[in-house]
Amino acid sequence: MSLADTAQQIRRRDLRLPLAAILVVVALAAPFIGSRYVTHSLIIALIFMLPAHGLNLLVGYTGLLSLAQAAFFGIGAYAAGLLAVHYGTPFYVNATAAGLLAGACALPLGIPALRLRATSFVMCTLGFVIIGQAIAKNWISVTRGDMGLSAIPKPHFALGPLSFTVSGTTSFYYMALAIGALATLAVWMIVRSPAGRNMIAIRENETLAESLGVPTWRYKLLVFIISAVFAGVGGSLYAHYLTVVSPLTFQMYYSTTMLIIVLGGGAGTISGVVFGSLLFVGLTEALRITPELRMIAYGLCLLVLVFWFKKGFAPVLNRFWDMIGGAK
Amino acid sequence: MFSTVIEQIVNGIVTGSVYAIVAVGMTMIFGVLRAINFAHGEYYMLGTFGAWFAVDYLGLSYEASIIVGVLSTIIVAYVVGRLVMQRMVGAPAEAGVLATLGIALVLQNTVILVFGGGYKFFSGGYIEPLSVLGFSLAAQRILILVVCLLVFIGLELMVTYSRMGKSMRAVSQNVECCEVVGIDVPKVVLHTFILGAALAALSGVLTAPVNVSVYGGMGELITFKTLPIIIMGGLGNVRGTFFAAMILGIAESLVATYVGLQFRDTVGFATLILMLMWRPYGLFSTQARF
Amino acid sequence: MKHTLSRRALCISTAILSLAVTVPGLSGLALAADGTIKLGIVAPMSGPNARYGAFSMRGAELAVKEINDAGGVDGQKIELYSADSQGTPVEGVSATRRLIDEDEVDYVIGDVSSSVTLAMQPVAEDAEVLLLNAASSNPRITYAAGVGGFKWTYRNYPTDENRAFVVAKYAAEQRGFTKFAVLSVDSDYGRSAIEFTKKYLPEFKGEILTEDYYKEGEVDFRSVLAKIRDSGAQAILMYGLADTTPIVARQMVELGLAGKVTLVGNGEFNTEKTINSAPTALEGAVEAAAWLPAWDSPESKAFVEKFTTTYDEAPNNHAYVHWDTVRLLAQAIHEAGGNDREKVREALSKIKYKSPVGEVTFDDHNQARLPMILLQIENGKPAIKGAYTAEIQYPAQ
Repeated sequence: MSLADTAQQIRRRDLRLPLAAILVVVALAAPFIGSRYVTHSLIIALIFMLPAHGLNLLVGYTGLLSLAQAAFFGIGAYAAGLLAVHYGTPFYVNATAAGLLAGACALPLGIPALRLRATSFVMCTLGFVIIGQAIAKNWISVTRGDMGLSAIPKPHFALGPLSFTVSGTTSFYYMALAIGALATLAVWMIVRSPAGRNMIAIRENETLAESLGVPTWRYKLLVFIISAVFAGVGGSLYAHYLTVVSPLTFQMYYSTTMLIIVLGGGAGTISGVVFGSLLFVGLTEALRITPELRMIAYGLCLLVLVFWFKKGFAPVLNRFWDMIGGAK
Repeated sequence: MFSTVIEQIVNGIVTGSVYAIVAVGMTMIFGVLRAINFAHGEYYMLGTFGAWFAVDYLGLSYEASIIVGVLSTIIVAYVVGRLVMQRMVGAPAEAGVLATLGIALVLQNTVILVFGGGYKFFSGGYIEPLSVLGFSLAAQRILILVVCLLVFIGLELMVTYSRMGKSMRAVSQNVECCEVVGIDVPKVVLHTFILGAALAALSGVLTAPVNVSVYGGMGELITFKTLPIIIMGGLGNVRGTFFAAMILGIAESLVATYVGLQFRDTVGFATLILMLMWRPYGLFSTQARF
Repeated sequence: MKHTLSRRALCISTAILSLAVTVPGLSGLALAADGTIKLGIVAPMSGPNARYGAFSMRGAELAVKEINDAGGVDGQKIELYSADSQGTPVEGVSATRRLIDEDEVDYVIGDVSSSVTLAMQPVAEDAEVLLLNAASSNPRITYAAGVGGFKWTYRNYPTDENRAFVVAKYAAEQRGFTKFAVLSVDSDYGRSAIEFTKKYLPEFKGEILTEDYYKEGEVDFRSVLAKIRDSGAQAILMYGLADTTPIVARQMVELGLAGKVTLVGNGEFNTEKTINSAPTALEGAVEAAAWLPAWDSPESKAFVEKFTTTYDEAPNNHAYVHWDTVRLLAQAIHEAGGNDREKVREALSKIKYKSPVGEVTFDDHNQARLPMILLQIENGKPAIKGAYTAEIQYPAQ
C-alpha cells in the first residue's frame, strides 16, 4: 500500500456511524434544542409517519397506489377517541384497539377493492375516505357528527404503582418517538422477511410472481390490512395529541399528504419515509409565514417533486450516505 | 307522488348534463395520458371566473362572457399543457396524481390570491323560470341540456371521423405504435387537454347563472363528482361517460329527495363502489383497459 | 445528462431544505421590541370558510389600527399576528402553537369554526395564554370554560342555543308558523342550531316535517326545495352559510316557493347583496344575528362607514365581532393596568364593556352576556324587531 492510498483512506473515513449517533442524539434532545413549536411540528411529523410507513408497504413495496389511508387513520382516531372519552382506557389499549379495528375494517374493504385494476382501485380507495366522512358526519349518536369528539384525555399508562399520564408536549414527543421507532423497526422486519421479498416480486411483475407460486392475492390483502393497522395506530396518536377528532379527519388531503411523504421521501425505502415526513411537515410549517402564498408554493413543490425527483429524495440521501461512507 | 318522481328525474338530468360536459373532457384526457386529472374541476372554476370577470369588471353581456370564460381557460390550459401535461406521457400513475394535485393547488389558490377567497355573485344568464311540462325550470337549465346534447353529438362525430379524433383514439390505444407510425403524441395530448379544459370551462360558464355563486374552491367539488363518473363510464369512453353522468345526476336527485340532502355527495362514490363489485371494468366496457 | 440532472436535483433539494430550516428562524429575528401588545388571530384564511376568515382579519385589523392611531392602550401599541386554521382542528392547533411559541403572543382571538375553537382551548390553557373567542357559537365551548374547566377561554359571542330559542319563539308567536322544514348547513353550527330548535319547538306547538343538511359548496337545491314545497311547510329553518343563501333564494324563485315559504334562521339574510339576489324569496325572512350593518347605534354606524371606505366592501357579522373583540381586549388591558396576562384575565371577568349592541359582562363560565338581534326583511330592508338576551342554563357538572 502506497502512502498516497493510506492518505486517501484517512481522508475518506467512514463517517456513517458518527452521523447515525449524532442523529439519534438530536432526535432524543430535540425538545431541548428547539422551541416548543419545533417539538410540536416533530410530533405532527411522527404522527403522519405511521400511516406513511403503512402506505409505503403498499405503494413502495407492493406497487398498489391507495388513497384509503385517511379512512383507516380516521377509524383509528375515532376508535381511540371514543374509548378514551367513554371508558378512560389507558393509551396502549386505545392504540391497540385503533390498529385492530382499522385492520378489521380493511379486510372486507380490501377483498372487493383489490380485484380492481390500477385506476379503478385508486378511485375505490378514495371512495372509502369520502364514505367514511359521511358516516362520521351522520352517525351522530356515536360520533357526535360534525361537533366531533372533544376533550379526549391525555394518554394514560396504567401500570399499577407506576401509572402515569403523558401530559406535556415534551413527554408526548418521547412517546411518539418511541412508537415511531417501533413502527420503523416493524417495517424493516417485514421488508427483510421472505414476505417482503414476495411483495417486491408482486410490485415488479405480478403475473411472473404468481407463476412462481407467490400467492399474490393473499399477499396483497395482507399488506392492505397491515397498512391499515399502521394508519389506525397513527390515528390514535392523532386523537390523543390534538384531543379532538372531527369528520374532517377523513379527508383526501390527509391521504395525499401521506402519499406525498412516501413519494417525496422515496417509495420503497424506509429512510425515505422517515425523511419524507420531516421534510413534508417542515415545508408546510415553514410556508406558514406566507399564508397567502402557502398553498401555491406547496403546489409548485409538488410539481418540482414530480419532475425533478422522480424517485423522491431517497437517491439523494443514498448518495450522501455513500459519500460520507467513503465510497467514490 | 308520480309527478314528483318525474320532476326529480328531470332535475337529475339537468344536473347530469353539467357533470357530463366536465367528465367527458376528463375521460378523454385519461384516454391519451392515462392520468387521473385531479385538477380538472379547476378549469370549470376558471371558466366561471373568466365569465364573472367579463360581466362584473368589463361590463360585457352574458353571451360575450361565455366566450371570455372559455378563451381565458384555453390560454391557461395551453400553458399548463405545455409545461406539465405533455411531460406526463408515459409517467407512472402516482406522478399523475401528484402533478395534477399540484396544478389544482396552484390554480385554485392563485385565483383566491387575485380575486379574494369570498364568494362572488354571478349576475347574468337566463334565470327567468319557464313552465315546461308543468315543471317550473329556469330557461338556463334548458340551455344547459341542449348544449350538452350538442357537445356529445359533436364529440361522437369528431372521434369517429376527424383526423384529430382518430389520432386521439390511436394514442389512447397504444402510444408506442403511434410514435412508430408518425403521430405526434405530445401534440395530440396537448390538443385533447385543451379541448377537455375548454369543455369544463363551458360547463362552468353555463352553470354559473343558476348556481349564482362563484368562488375559488368550487372546482374541487366538481372534480369529486366527476371522478366516479369517468370510472363508471369506462375510462376513455365518451358515450359511457354520458350515460354514467345521467345515472349519477338522477341518483343524486332521488337521494336528495327521499333520503336526505346530506347524503348527496356520497352518492357518486357509493354507486361507484357498488358498481365495481358487480362489474369491475365499468358499465360500458366488457374488459379492463386500464 | 443523467449526471447534470441529479446535480440539479441536489441543488434544488438543498435549497428547499435550507429554506425550510432558515425561514422560521428569520421570522424569529423580526420580533418586535418590548412595549408592544402582541395579539394573534387564528382564522380560516383558506378552505371553505376563507370568506369568514378574510372578514375576521379585516375587522381585527381595523380595530388595531384605530387603537394604535389613538395612541395605543396606555401608550402601548398592539401588534397583530395572524395564522391560518383552514377551518380544520389540526391546522387550528398548529396555527395556535405557532402564534404562542414562535410569535410569542399574549392573547389569541379565534377561531370561527366551533370544532377548531374546541381544539384550541387546551393549547391556550397549557400555555396560559388568553383565548378570546369572537365568532364560534357552539354552547360546549363555554360549558367547558371558566368554572367548567378552561380558565383562559372567554367568549364574546352569543350561542346557538340562544339563537335557536329566539328564532323559534318569534316564528311561532309573532308569525304563527307551526310547520317547519329544516334546510341547514351540515356543520357543527347548522346541526347544533337545529338540535336546540328541536328542544324548544314543542313549547310553541311547532313540528318539523322534513330535515335536510347541505354540504359546504352545495349548489343544487331543486330536489330538496321541491320536497319542501310538497310537504306543506310554512317556513324553512335555515341555519346556513351566507354564501349559500342567495343560491337557495334564487332556486326558491325558480320553483315558485317565493312568497309562500319563509326563510327563518341565520345566514346573512339581511345584507343588500343577498336581498338583491332574490327579493321575492327573502321578503318576510326572519333572522337572528349577533350584529347586522343596519344596527342603529352611532359606533356601529361609524364602524360600517369606516370599514366600507377602507376595504371597499360592507362589513359582515364576522368583521364586526372581531373588531368589537379587539376593542374589548384593549379595554381589559387598560383596566388591568398593563400588559399582564393574569391581570387582564381577572379584568375581563369583572369588565363592564360598552359595546355597540349593549353592555357586555361575563358570567362564571366566561361567556359574555350578549343579545341576539332579531330582524325581519320588510320591503327589501331589514327591520329590527328587538334584541333578546337569555341567561344560559349550564348542564350540571
